[in-house]
Amino acid sequence: MAPLLEAIGIGKTYPGGVVANDGVNLTVSAGEVHAVVGENGAGKSTLMKILFGIERPDRGELRLDGKPVSFTNPREAIDAGIGMVFQHFSLVPSFSVYENVVLGSEPKAGIKFDRRQAIEAVRALSERFRLHVDPLPPVGQLPVGQQQRVEILKALYRDARILILDEPTAVLAPQEVEELFIAVRALVEQGRTVIFIAHKLPEVLEISNRITVMRAGKTVGEVGASEVTEKSLATMMVGREVALRVDRAATTGETVCEIKALWVKGEVNQTLVEDLNLTVRAGEIVGLVGVEGNGQAAVLDAISGLRPIAQGVAYLNSISVGPLSVLERRGLGLANIPEDRIAQGLATGASVAENLVATRLADTRFVRRGLLDLKAIKANAEQLIERFSVRVGGSGAAVGTLSGGNMQKVVVARELSERPKLLLVSQPTRGVDLGATQFIWRSLTDARDAGAALLLSSADLSELLALSDRLVVFYRGKIVAAFINQDDLTPETLGTYMLGLATQTQEEMRLALK
Amino acid sequence: MSTQQALARQSRWASIRKEAQRSITALLIALVVAFIVVLFTSKTPFEALNIMLTAPISKPRTIGLWIDDVAKLTVTGLAFSLVFQARQFAMGVQGQVYVGALASTYVALSPLGPTYAAIPLGIIAAMLAGGVWGFIPGIAKAKLGANEIVSSLMLNYIAIELCNFLVRVQLYEKPGVLTSTPFPKIAVFPPLFAGTRIDLGLILALVAVLVVWFALYRTAWGLKLRLVGHNAKFAEYSGIKSTVIMVSAMTCAGALGGMLGAMFVQGQTYGKLTVMFEGGLAFEGILVAIVARSRPLAVPVVALFYGYLRQGAQLMNIRTDVPAEVIGVVTAIIILLVSSSFSMPGKTWLTGLFNRRADAAPVAVEGAPK
Amino acid sequence: MTELLVTIFSTAFFVTVIRTSTPLLLATLGGLVADLSGALNVALEGQMLVGCLTAVIVSVYAPWYVAVVAGVGAGALLGLVMAFFALRLKADIILVGFAINIFASGGTVFALSLATGGDKGTSINLVSKAIPPVDLSFLSAIPGIGPFLTAMFSGHSVLSWVAAFLVFAIWYFLYRMPWGLWLRGVGEYPAAPEAAGIPVNTVRTWSLIVSGGLAGLGGAQLAMFNYVGFARDMTGGRGFIALGAVLLGARHPVGAMLAALLFGAFEGLSIVMPGLFADAPAELIRMIPFVVTILALILFSYRAQQALRAKSVAKT
Repeated sequence: MAPLLEAIGIGKTYPGGVVANDGVNLTVSAGEVHAVVGENGAGKSTLMKILFGIERPDRGELRLDGKPVSFTNPREAIDAGIGMVFQHFSLVPSFSVYENVVLGSEPKAGIKFDRRQAIEAVRALSERFRLHVDPLPPVGQLPVGQQQRVEILKALYRDARILILDEPTAVLAPQEVEELFIAVRALVEQGRTVIFIAHKLPEVLEISNRITVMRAGKTVGEVGASEVTEKSLATMMVGREVALRVDRAATTGETVCEIKALWVKGEVNQTLVEDLNLTVRAGEIVGLVGVEGNGQAAVLDAISGLRPIAQGVAYLNSISVGPLSVLERRGLGLANIPEDRIAQGLATGASVAENLVATRLADTRFVRRGLLDLKAIKANAEQLIERFSVRVGGSGAAVGTLSGGNMQKVVVARELSERPKLLLVSQPTRGVDLGATQFIWRSLTDARDAGAALLLSSADLSELLALSDRLVVFYRGKIVAAFINQDDLTPETLGTYMLGLATQTQEEMRLALK
Repeated sequence: MSTQQALARQSRWASIRKEAQRSITALLIALVVAFIVVLFTSKTPFEALNIMLTAPISKPRTIGLWIDDVAKLTVTGLAFSLVFQARQFAMGVQGQVYVGALASTYVALSPLGPTYAAIPLGIIAAMLAGGVWGFIPGIAKAKLGANEIVSSLMLNYIAIELCNFLVRVQLYEKPGVLTSTPFPKIAVFPPLFAGTRIDLGLILALVAVLVVWFALYRTAWGLKLRLVGHNAKFAEYSGIKSTVIMVSAMTCAGALGGMLGAMFVQGQTYGKLTVMFEGGLAFEGILVAIVARSRPLAVPVVALFYGYLRQGAQLMNIRTDVPAEVIGVVTAIIILLVSSSFSMPGKTWLTGLFNRRADAAPVAVEGAPK
Repeated sequence: MTELLVTIFSTAFFVTVIRTSTPLLLATLGGLVADLSGALNVALEGQMLVGCLTAVIVSVYAPWYVAVVAGVGAGALLGLVMAFFALRLKADIILVGFAINIFASGGTVFALSLATGGDKGTSINLVSKAIPPVDLSFLSAIPGIGPFLTAMFSGHSVLSWVAAFLVFAIWYFLYRMPWGLWLRGVGEYPAAPEAAGIPVNTVRTWSLIVSGGLAGLGGAQLAMFNYVGFARDMTGGRGFIALGAVLLGARHPVGAMLAALLFGAFEGLSIVMPGLFADAPAELIRMIPFVVTILALILFSYRAQQALRAKSVAKT
């Protein structure tokens, strides 16, 4: 019997010359969970886009049930029985669950959208595949885990035989991952096939039957999940042994940042952070753990001045930052590496030099009497480009022309160049390749060793566990647990608190919060 | 490092060349369309085209008309460039021109009118009035989130009616005549070349070019403004008060619009206020700004070319049976082509021909996002 | 003052308001459809203007309804042009919209001159037709309120009734039909319909075409009922006011109708006021709709901000 889905010798070069896929082979049999692994930038996403008809390959062939197929758009892929769940969900926030599920293939009564039938269909599907979700509320109000179920239901509603899940666990807490895996197993039992894109190896080994490994746009092998270990898989992925280990802080110093009874409110006055108390000392990294949207980002925004403090105080070197502007806080030694470099951390249309001084336009080194000192700005840029080995044509080049890793280096360079006293870091290595990840991690620990206090928020638990000296877990805007990072601390332990399944007592937290 | 710099300079030249190529191609396409339209509509098409293309430089007087237009187009182009660089779509230059003109008229017809103070005070008053007119949509957007496109357009109509009203009831020379009393001679911009309309306005326009360029590229305010335009969220994160920048950009653009009003009524062309004196020129600043990619130094160059076309069309209107409004069609086509990522006609065919070579060449500049 | 109130509460004023509101409402609905699909149509003004001229010229040679259809077609064609440049060639849609406005302002005068052999700015030499009013005088037969009903509802343009029906039809389309779901989804979060295999750009293209067509229909009403004939820039900012009305109407068809009626009422006021106050300056009266639009926009934005706050306070 021919395999269900085959990709043979796929090649794809983007305009601009980036070779994303270069001779990729993938063979997926019916009824299996097939994982595709590889580090960021290995070409997994491009391959999936090709399978789903978003991108068209330059070379190679796709076969479905042994017959050659070619998809020019997602519609054709959907009609052929392929469903896709993107990492960034494709849901209309104000639409209800059932509207999102049927969007594009609505049941009709005459020319009318048959709402009742749509709701029925969603109920039946969620029953059958054990993906429980209420069809009526708007999806914008649902937690991330439920939104993901809506995405899966969407694909199943369209009768997908093959379901592609793109990094589905990246946004989930460990316990939610377990629920997802239960659903995935239910799908396979009922004859569906799942393609699972990931880079977290333990999960891959747990859920998949077979694994295809990609590296630098090529497939480097296909193995059975039972034949490999985490370590051998990692070696296949990067082509060399890697050890992303980081040394703990040697010593910690004075208190740099002290947060007392802090409350933060959102745009519509909802409470984002409730009565938070936290201390960060010079020379340590405190990791903020939590499912996205549980208040970690709000704390960082409140300290950096992007959100007002509703109640309570945050001290930076004993000065209350609440009444200060963003620039005044930066003047006290605050630096901030934001979550999304393109949306928030850079002006991609402006030059590298301009980006590197954007936060220091009140500094007399670069601006005097309102006039720019172009020479100083250029010299500053050239020095930082050199020091952080940013690969760029010159300080006048637009940041948008740089690769993701180099863009992030520009952000890191700007924020670390002033020897910050308090550094706020959010998702420092999201979408960054391994080489740049190592570089950024080292930059962060160097800053720590130079005496900076760091607050680190990341969706990647392994990153938090690798870098942090202490960890605090957020659930619904409150700290529910605090740990001193030791080798016996596991993601599962953190997960229990991230989901609010357990809460430490004040006593238990006291030691790690001091 | 030096080779890198040379490379950067090279790519900068390449992108300037590319921009220029696109602009010229757009201009040529628009001209061809204009030719075709004239060909089909005029009884004497070749005479009409001939006038359109040569008449502006035929006499010193027509050259004067052209250069006078260039000065005005430059100022409106600068006003639009300033708001476009901050990524605002305030469309209020027209209204600013009218209130600016009103303000300078009041100065010129006041007791100060027959003194040397009339010109500087007229310009300042016009800039203040225009600034206020630019400030209103800015502050309404910053404080309340009111859409600046709609509010600035409404202010245009309000300013026009206000001007009509004041001319009719207060500033008229004779009842029933919709022009004001002519200004004292000393309140009118002196001509730079006798017998032409080229006057102090041209100098004002050139100074404005330099001031706007300096403000945008040499001051912290300009860098902040451009950063807000590139990415407002990043600007907030960097500690730049983007609403302050936005409002100040719209106010400064308003002052430029107001100054243009003074250039109209205090200039050689009018020397008095009349109703509807602006004739739609203010909106053509959109075209100038877009073709110049909102770069102040490119604005006068674009204005020079476009002003020529515009003047040619006006003369064609007077001397032949083709209405001047054909220029509206040309303007629209140029804006459409320049603001879109059209490729040159036949380019696909050419790349097809040189397919292999095009594939092999690295496409660094092409791949750069805008 | 009492005279003014008497006038405002008269049936004649109601009829005037319906007349002034109809072109605005049609353009507002056009703006709404485009806006909900995520494409801001700032070219309503130009599309209306071209609709005016096309309807006037066609009506010289053809029955009124053909002229109306031609007006719609002209507006729709400009909508297609907009879609082509903004969606296919990736030009900024606001700039494209203004290019179309500039084109319409000059192009209509140019085209009129060609069509009439040299008339500059008005169509006085063209014998253009009007849209017939709908005669409902049989309502007078109803005892008691009959004459009142006739005075209120008889004599409106056919297109006023069409516009009223379109409010319902567009609501039904947007909130009861699958394609309305597509359109709103495309406007709110295009990645979602895209992933569901809905051709996002096709949806936007169609909504821009419909948007232009509705603006053209508004133009036909303006040049074949409110006025009969064409004049340079006769839309006088109605397309831009419609843009404000979309926002003021909270992006809903019924809201759009209410907003259009509000602006129509002030335009009606500016029509009846010169008759009442002979010495009231015409310019200031003509200014009223624009002042009202800007005030309404500011007030609405302020209220929207406050409402957001109030709602959240109630929740917590």
